[in-house]
Amino acid sequence: MKSAHKKAVIGKAAVYIILILIALIMIIPFLWMLSASIKSDREVFQMNPFVWIPENPKWSNYSDIWTKIPFGRFVGNTVYLTVVVTLLQLLTSSFAAYSFAKLHFRHKNGLFLAYIATIAMPWQVYMVPQFIMMRKMGLNDKLLAIICLQAFSAFGVFMMKQFYEGIPDDLCEAARIDGMSEYKIYAKIMLPLSKPALSTLTIFTFVATWNDYLGPLIYLKSQEKKTIQLGLKMFISQYSSDYGLIMAGSVLSLIPVLIVFLVLQKYFVEGVASTGLKG
Amino acid sequence: MAAPFYDRRRGYVLRVRFGGRGPGKAPDQRKADYGPRTADTGKENHHMPKMDEARKAERLDSLQGRLTKLIADVRTEADIRKKRKMIGEIGNLNRRIDKLKSGRVLSREAKRDLVAYSFIAPNFIGFCVFTLIPIVFAFGLAFLRWDGSNPIEWAGIGNFMKLGDDVFFKAALKNTIIYCVGTVPLTMIASLALAIVLNQKVKGRGIFRTFAFFPYVASLVAITAVWKMLFHPSKGPINNLLYNVFHVAQEDLPQWFSGGLVLVSMILFSVWKYMGYYMVIYLAGLQGISAELYEAASLDGAGTWNKFRYVTWPQLSSTTFFVVVMLTINCFKVYDIAVMLAGGGSGELTTSSTVLVYYIYQKAFVDWDLGYSSAVAMVLFVMVLLVTIIQFVGQARKEKA
Amino acid sequence: MKKKVISMVLAAAMAASLLTGCGDDAQTDGPGSSPEAGTGSDAEKSPEAGTGSEAGGDSQQGGSGEAVTLKWAIWDQETTAYWNDIKKEYEATHEGVTIEMVDLGSSDYMTVLATELSGEGTDFDVVTIKDVPGYATLVQKNTILALDDYIKKDGVDLEKYAGATDQVVVDGKLYELPFRNDFWVLFYNKDLFDAKKVAYPTNDMTFEEYDELARKMTDTTFGAQVYGAHYHTWRSAVQLFGVLDGQHTILDGQYDFFKPYYEMVLNQEKDGVARKYSDLKTEGLHYSAAFSSGDVAMLNMGSWFIATMITNLQTGEYDSELCGNWGIVKYPHAEGVEAGSTLGTITGLAVTSACDTPDAAWEFVKWVSGEEGAKVMASSGNFPAIMTDEVKNMIAGLEGFPADEASKEALSVSNLYLEVPYAPNVSEINSVLDSYHGSIMAGEMSVDEGIEAMNTEVQKILNQ
Repeated sequence: MKSAHKKAVIGKAAVYIILILIALIMIIPFLWMLSASIKSDREVFQMNPFVWIPENPKWSNYSDIWTKIPFGRFVGNTVYLTVVVTLLQLLTSSFAAYSFAKLHFRHKNGLFLAYIATIAMPWQVYMVPQFIMMRKMGLNDKLLAIICLQAFSAFGVFMMKQFYEGIPDDLCEAARIDGMSEYKIYAKIMLPLSKPALSTLTIFTFVATWNDYLGPLIYLKSQEKKTIQLGLKMFISQYSSDYGLIMAGSVLSLIPVLIVFLVLQKYFVEGVASTGLKG
Repeated sequence: MAAPFYDRRRGYVLRVRFGGRGPGKAPDQRKADYGPRTADTGKENHHMPKMDEARKAERLDSLQGRLTKLIADVRTEADIRKKRKMIGEIGNLNRRIDKLKSGRVLSREAKRDLVAYSFIAPNFIGFCVFTLIPIVFAFGLAFLRWDGSNPIEWAGIGNFMKLGDDVFFKAALKNTIIYCVGTVPLTMIASLALAIVLNQKVKGRGIFRTFAFFPYVASLVAITAVWKMLFHPSKGPINNLLYNVFHVAQEDLPQWFSGGLVLVSMILFSVWKYMGYYMVIYLAGLQGISAELYEAASLDGAGTWNKFRYVTWPQLSSTTFFVVVMLTINCFKVYDIAVMLAGGGSGELTTSSTVLVYYIYQKAFVDWDLGYSSAVAMVLFVMVLLVTIIQFVGQARKEKA
Repeated sequence: MKKKVISMVLAAAMAASLLTGCGDDAQTDGPGSSPEAGTGSDAEKSPEAGTGSEAGGDSQQGGSGEAVTLKWAIWDQETTAYWNDIKKEYEATHEGVTIEMVDLGSSDYMTVLATELSGEGTDFDVVTIKDVPGYATLVQKNTILALDDYIKKDGVDLEKYAGATDQVVVDGKLYELPFRNDFWVLFYNKDLFDAKKVAYPTNDMTFEEYDELARKMTDTTFGAQVYGAHYHTWRSAVQLFGVLDGQHTILDGQYDFFKPYYEMVLNQEKDGVARKYSDLKTEGLHYSAAFSSGDVAMLNMGSWFIATMITNLQTGEYDSELCGNWGIVKYPHAEGVEAGSTLGTITGLAVTSACDTPDAAWEFVKWVSGEEGAKVMASSGNFPAIMTDEVKNMIAGLEGFPADEASKEALSVSNLYLEVPYAPNVSEINSVLDSYHGSIMAGEMSVDEGIEAMNTEVQKILNQ
């Protein structure tokens, strides 16, 4: 009995040690980023002795980044893109998903197959023809191009559909008997129930759009259209050794995604579980 | 083929087959079609045309009779194929009855279709224009010679013939495959292990989960900049540690971002960045395993390892399938990681770090050889398709067994 | 009121067309005999003559003297002074013309530009051409206009570009006019030389002497490293030592002549004389950051860096304690090659095929690449394509330009070889050479393997 208890304690301890180690590996790069962002270029690589917080923190890194490059504009562009794309994605995919999950109509399977088939199709395969097409439509160097590109993904529809299928049909049926229109059922019954799925989709879309690099690289050319990722990359290639500034910019670029994630994360595992993403 | 069910802990849960369609989707979904539409009849009555009432009633009766019989039969039918056929028949009958009853120009199902399409349209139009059409276009482009401005020429399979002789393409293909082969199993194992640990009842597991997910949320540009500092060949803390603590000679210090090591760095980075994401998927999978199975295993005297082997692993097989497919697809798409870790200021990659997507980009937007670029893209597509099919077949076989 | 303006503009236009004719006639014999006098007199009369002709040019196509806006593709507006100078000066002297600059960033400017121009939707009128491979792409895609008719019509004398335009002629046609012509020199940090009590580099050094000097200047003490030399990650910084003898070009398809220079640089890296390429690549370290941090004794770089040094030292962006005492000398050369042989990089302007007002755009291109533009460029320490002694004196006389005679003397170039001359497939050749340069420098391939690979791959392209 005692040895079993001992064993359990040791097991617990081992689990904690492993967890702490993993947490450190996960978090140290971020701590390094924070630490380097308030250091001068000379202190950044100083190892002997290494300090996390320098004696004279160089807070000016955080203000300089806004003047060295049009950081404000980059942030503005990215916020605009991300918000619009996320809203459109949530709206259109939950709308379409409701139809696929709860309504019966002709060509349903065919249409859904079109979505499914493209999930396994990497965007990179058709990014070139897509660009040529968008250019023809006059969307080159327009923020609208990125919106068109990101807002109508098959993934969102697929995800939301899986979730809606998990909601019993009886709910809709009952509402139909009460004479509710399908639109009303969607708005009054389905949407309020889909918080976990919507949160999950928000996290995915927000993260993907905020952090997208190749899409904006192809479409957004002029300085005033660039997103934060392009801007940061540009800054890094221009001021490669201004580590403090680069890190300050990086920290700033992380804050919005982290906030969104932290706010929505309580629904996250549930959302993944209920949207069929686990297989 | 489990039906969705409500679980107090997890909300609505549905086990889905990836890419699944057909009847497995949800038998109960058809429930709505089963019965005659009693609820509607009263409402529709006043739409009835005046003439031929008697004949209509007669036909209605016969249809209703067939319907009732079919519904009774369908419940007892064992053969799934026949059952499916009958269900379809029921739907048809229902539709005919509705039509007969209402007699409107816009039939009931046409109206129903319209409503359904109106739900789909906003997404589908965008999806069609910006995804489906370019995909079709991509297949055609691979057989053309075009620089985006001058007249298009037919190239036939010329673009594909050129691939075999292209050193940069071969390097890109090789590197991409090595990257996948390294990343997929490592990420899978790491994320599964992490999920199992974080599924235990430990204090603060919420915080740990959040931490593990941080790298996934972080932007690549920002976080690769940090990695390049940490792994800086001559100044970074990692090599500093190797030099000062492990006394590795200065010229033997690993050059993390060039030569053979660059792929290793990319793999390590990728595992670090994405394991949190797959961990969440595994967590969701783990929570779907019923505790009774573990209890039963305990009663049989199974240890931790055997519990994992005989309960956890087989129960997670569909999750693993999903994880592996997603991981492989994502690995084949690698671009940013390579460019940012190995590319330096100008983002140029050498033969030791080039990857397929980088080459697609270069050929298209630097050399403007759009057809050739599309041919490379087709190779990428075929690789992804092959992996998905192999996984799919493997999974199907496993399920049968 | 409006009518009056229009009629005045029309009159001016007529007068101007006469004037330009005369002016250009005068010019053709001007620069040949006495370049200094030519530019001098031209500059003096330019304000009036210039305004007249420009206003005329615009009204010709605007029809009624309507305002013309020219959209101009540039890079790094924030950090490069002359874009704004040119815009300001041109707008001041050309009524009714507005120059709208669009910054496409420098990192992959030509790639971005090609994408921009190859669509139907482009509204650029004038584009800056940053390098020759990119120029080749634009020409092949028919996105920029051949300027020959304009050149003939306005009698622009290509002689004054000292042969630079000859190297970018495509099938007998010229699609750009250079306005900047940079050449490579050797920058050095005098304070480091003084501290080591080593004599400064000279305007006539062979590669052996240069290598020796670099090694002399090197200090590998950990924490107080001094690098005798620094090579930026560009291929040009190493490979192109090889073309200075005038017998090889990068279009040859045979690159064995790169070998001694790769070996020199790699040996320097190995001995700590120069920073490791792989480190530079990891950090993406910019050459300016390397030189301004005060631990690099010598840096081979284009003359554009002169203006950067002057401005950044003045604004305090660079610490003058670290790099304030600098100088330049001519590029080192191989045994038996004339001192002052160096690499050239031209930056040109082109008119897009999609431009609605090509005449106005041409006027702008002509002005910027002409004498007036040259003065604007020189006033901020940049090297215009038309290099005259006056321009040279102007740059050497700038506040912040090294005061020693050698630095001034370094501005005289004897032979100029373009980094990349034009060839139909120069873009692909460039990619191959870039890639294997990376492989050699990062130690992924030996020098021989790398050169062998360059030879085979470029041959493949040439045989196509």
